[in-house]
Amino acid sequence: MSAARVSFRLNGVERALDVTAETRLSEILRDLLWLTASKVACGVGRCGACTVLMNGKPVNACLAMAWQLEGADIVSPEGLDILPETRIVRQAMTEENAFQCGYCAPGFVTVLVGLLRNEPEADLSRIKAALEGNICRCTGYHSILRGAQAAAEAVRAERSDLS
Amino acid sequence: MRVVHPESLTEAQEIARDAGGTACFVAGATALQLLWANGGAKPDILIDLGQIAELKGVQAEGGHVRAGALATLSDVSSDVGLQTGAPLLAHAIGSVAGPAVRNLATIGGNIANRNGCLLPVLLALEARLVVFRSGAIAEIALGDWLRETPAATDIVCAVNVPALGDEVVWIYRKVGLRRTFTPSIVAIAGVVHVDNGRFGECRIAVGGGVVSPSRLISTELALQGKSIESCDWTAVSETILREVEAPDDLFRSGAYRRKAAAGTIVHALQAKLGGVAYHAHADPPPPALARGEIELGKKTLPDRWFTRPDMPEKVDATLSYLTDVREDGMLVGRILRAGVPHARLLSIDVSAAEALPGVAAVVTHRDIRGENGFGIVFQDQPALCHDKVRYAGDPVAAVAAVDAATAEVALGLIRVAYEPLPLVDDPEIALDPRSAAVHDSGNVQTELHFDRGDIEAGFLQAAHVVEEIYEMPRQMHGFLETEGGFARLEADGTLHVAAGGQHNYRDRMQLSRILGIPEERIRVTSSPTGGSFGGKDELTVQPALALLAIKSGKAVRLHLDRTESVVAGTKRNPMRLRMRTGCDRDGRLVAQEVDLISDSGAYASLSPGVLETALEHAAGPYVIANIRTRGRLAYTNNGVGGAFRGFGANQMTFAVECQMDRLAGLCGLSPSDMRRRNLRTPGMPGYLGQRVSLTERCDEMLEAAMTSRLWSCERGLSPDGADYVGVGMALSYQGNGLGTIPHDEGGGVLRLAEDGRIEALLGLDELGQGLHAAITSQVADFVGCTRDDVRPITGDTLLAPDSGSTTASRGSYVLWNTARRTAPEFVRRMTAAAGLRLDREPQDLCLVAGGIADRRSNSGDLLISYVDLAAALDPAERPSVSTHFAFPKTEHDGGNARYIFAFGATIARVAVSRATGEARVLDLDLHSAAGPVIDVASYLGQMEGGAMQGLGFTLLEDSLMRDGAYLTTNLDTYMMPGIADTAERLSVFAQESLDEGDDLGPRGVGELGIASVTPAIVNAVGDAIGFWPSRSPLSPEAIHDYMERMQ
Repeated sequence: MSAARVSFRLNGVERALDVTAETRLSEILRDLLWLTASKVACGVGRCGACTVLMNGKPVNACLAMAWQLEGADIVSPEGLDILPETRIVRQAMTEENAFQCGYCAPGFVTVLVGLLRNEPEADLSRIKAALEGNICRCTGYHSILRGAQAAAEAVRAERSDLS
Repeated sequence: MRVVHPESLTEAQEIARDAGGTACFVAGATALQLLWANGGAKPDILIDLGQIAELKGVQAEGGHVRAGALATLSDVSSDVGLQTGAPLLAHAIGSVAGPAVRNLATIGGNIANRNGCLLPVLLALEARLVVFRSGAIAEIALGDWLRETPAATDIVCAVNVPALGDEVVWIYRKVGLRRTFTPSIVAIAGVVHVDNGRFGECRIAVGGGVVSPSRLISTELALQGKSIESCDWTAVSETILREVEAPDDLFRSGAYRRKAAAGTIVHALQAKLGGVAYHAHADPPPPALARGEIELGKKTLPDRWFTRPDMPEKVDATLSYLTDVREDGMLVGRILRAGVPHARLLSIDVSAAEALPGVAAVVTHRDIRGENGFGIVFQDQPALCHDKVRYAGDPVAAVAAVDAATAEVALGLIRVAYEPLPLVDDPEIALDPRSAAVHDSGNVQTELHFDRGDIEAGFLQAAHVVEEIYEMPRQMHGFLETEGGFARLEADGTLHVAAGGQHNYRDRMQLSRILGIPEERIRVTSSPTGGSFGGKDELTVQPALALLAIKSGKAVRLHLDRTESVVAGTKRNPMRLRMRTGCDRDGRLVAQEVDLISDSGAYASLSPGVLETALEHAAGPYVIANIRTRGRLAYTNNGVGGAFRGFGANQMTFAVECQMDRLAGLCGLSPSDMRRRNLRTPGMPGYLGQRVSLTERCDEMLEAAMTSRLWSCERGLSPDGADYVGVGMALSYQGNGLGTIPHDEGGGVLRLAEDGRIEALLGLDELGQGLHAAITSQVADFVGCTRDDVRPITGDTLLAPDSGSTTASRGSYVLWNTARRTAPEFVRRMTAAAGLRLDREPQDLCLVAGGIADRRSNSGDLLISYVDLAAALDPAERPSVSTHFAFPKTEHDGGNARYIFAFGATIARVAVSRATGEARVLDLDLHSAAGPVIDVASYLGQMEGGAMQGLGFTLLEDSLMRDGAYLTTNLDTYMMPGIADTAERLSVFAQESLDEGDDLGPRGVGELGIASVTPAIVNAVGDAIGFWPSRSPLSPEAIHDYMERMQ
């Protein structure tokens, strides 16, 4: 297991790390860089707690290995603030008290930011489809959906204000 | 492992050929982690195809759509040309894995793995593969390629799909274990040309999961040329049943797969060809609220909706959980699990592990200075095993090393010798004295009997008797944050152990007993934690963490991965419950007999209490004169059982409430009339004869259920023929508190902090339930300040006093009573201190938002802020008031009896799929009566979340075991509800009133949401099809078979 250099952009900053090729992005974030906002709850891509944006799209950090990161643009929950939709999504989810224990929240918020950046017109069925990869054990999902719909409306309102 | 990045197909193939069998091609690589986690061998070389340009892109041209192998599934499905030319494929991709996975996974990988649910789709589309083999490009029909022996050096380059013309109908359906992001049980796809009312060319295929992808040629021939209008669909279905080849697996039988394939193909064809519009089940009418009832929500109660204090940091992801703590020099711990379910432990040799560079400590039972046993009730569970192991997850040793990789290597160097012992894996057989003993005391952990009246005479009066065996699964708590945390020795020599829990003082006491260290020398931090639901009530990783920190002298962190959590952690006790219930001609219950066997697994933990609580709820809220119950708890080698939200009551409620509906049917009564004739009346003794508290609300909950809006919704066969729809109800009657026998005290402190915040110190834990919102709400109410003035301090023995456990729905009472009892004296001291500074009479002052005001003034102007007051006071002068009290109990010495109950009614509307037998919950209305709602958002969250966990228990979840080993070890096969599984509409209602003279305040609702979801859903299924499944999770096959017989 020899380490190799991998270079990618993380939260807007160029990083070069020497890691083994199979090191997962979730390990890089949580154990090497001590960026623990993204969580690991299954480690096999089935819960969405570790979701990050990779080149603008939600990806499971537990599935992406170091060799897949070369040249990629990664945004972890720590860096979501650089995206304007994040403030709106977070505010809507907070006001709705969308979460309970909160462990799944970084993943849900990341997916919603990714969705509403690209599809501000997303309706309830589209939001539901986008969140199919995220498991929450505490809520009945309805609080999350209420918050997400409010966020979508707020994103649309802000965009129409700008236009 | 090495990863190579060839830039041409030739180069890639040469690498594969020269590497022999230890290389594999990868693209998105999304299947590898699960494969490796399940023991799949890691290759020496991963050949990344990502640099090969000719494998990229999606193009539509010349009546074909070509998808390059490297195109991700999301790129393929969002390609406009493909959506037009191959809408079936675009649609079907939406059912493959989850959205984030589809952003990495490629279409080539999905095909090359040979078992994806896109294969039947591509077969139906007559797709052709472009394959690079032996140095050349070849194009081959997918069907032919699938029949070939797989060649490891073949590279799938692209898939070509002929565009669908007009007059073509396509169908697709994936039947899984849940609605989305699920393993495939069977997937069906079809392309049918329509020619003047007749079937033209047809291509129908099945596949997915263990079903070999294949065209259904006989079925296609049976359809072709036939008139659509006069099609004999029964014959078509029979042809499909004969033709589909499908094996059994852990989850579903091959027979079910065939039936589901036939059902979904026929239904989809009928719907599309018959022009039957998809029927969306209409929303129910708005609820009619009873007097004093509120519907919970931000929109319905805006004045009572507050942002929970913990919400911003959870949403912003800035909250540091105990498993997130990292610091320089911190070691990483790992635990060695037995891996065998039952064996004598002959020897443990850790010398090689200790000698490994980077290993700081290895601990075994030899490092335990105190008593090597823990357990909240019985101390039968070793911290580290010494003489035998009793389940595969039993801890044998633990290591701390500089990093996770070293710790893993070290685990592999520990040599343990076992002498296998006979496996005890059936609780019923375990109870036989001839079975091998899991513990020296025998396998009967607990046996409980309760008799009242004359059961034989009672049944002689019965006009109707229903007898059923209810079987319930080993549900996993499924907290997203698995067990873990850190431990270290502080500078003053204190041992600090931080791991998610539900009662830090008890954890500290148990650790003290194990470690032989006085409790005062141990600090336990137990929250925040990412969910618990009872699963972190017992000690989990704390003993190993503590032992490693002590031995290494360094800080150690440890976090179980999901599989280790599954193997090691407690689960809901599987139960087998025989219930015989009789009623007279008029529906009055005359006798009931209950025989319950519960699987404790290897240790007791709280399973004896769960059994007892189940039996205490044996009559639900009904009066039955003659009753006999027997409950037995068996030790086995099946993991470990223990506390789980509902604590046995919800399992018993499943049985009781289904018996009521079935007896109602036999008597010709409505479900509500049946219940009304048997409902307890306020002031009666409780089930065990004990005095119970005021504020009984059974009548009100029954009334709410009877008048539910859901009964007026359409029921029966849906207009599109897809579903049978039914409505069912069940009452909840959930005891609060630990009961008469366990020691149960609470208390806390209210004080003015140095910075002017009013601090509420409670040893309770924030598990997600909204503890901090509840505390700030109650302190604000009793003191007169706002929520923002209050800072809750919880979850740490260093920082807060013992408030008892955060279990059994008791926390609400404890925090309410703490605020109630401390507030008057706190206010008195605050006004006295302020009066001195302001030269005012204390009785003229009061506490308001932000500080002290003149009691008679309406201006709200502050005379002095809390900040200024705190700054003006010496530390000893700052008010601090503590209280300590016993949790309210009844007087009863004939067993553990509850005093306080919370009440509810669940009404469910369920659609049962005729094609697959799957039940889908359309509506869940949860009515509740649990006293004043102290925080609307938290109450709503607990009720909604409880309902969803109940829905999972009812429809989806089971931790399957064989030979003492878990078969469902991660979230790929253990199916917790996803967002598509939740009830389409979920509404929560509350009645808040208390009886005059009731001084018990708010009841807890942590367990009320889950209490009667299962029987409400099952009764709705019964209403829909006349069949009441008695086993959860409900078997779609059993439901499907019943529907077939009734037709």
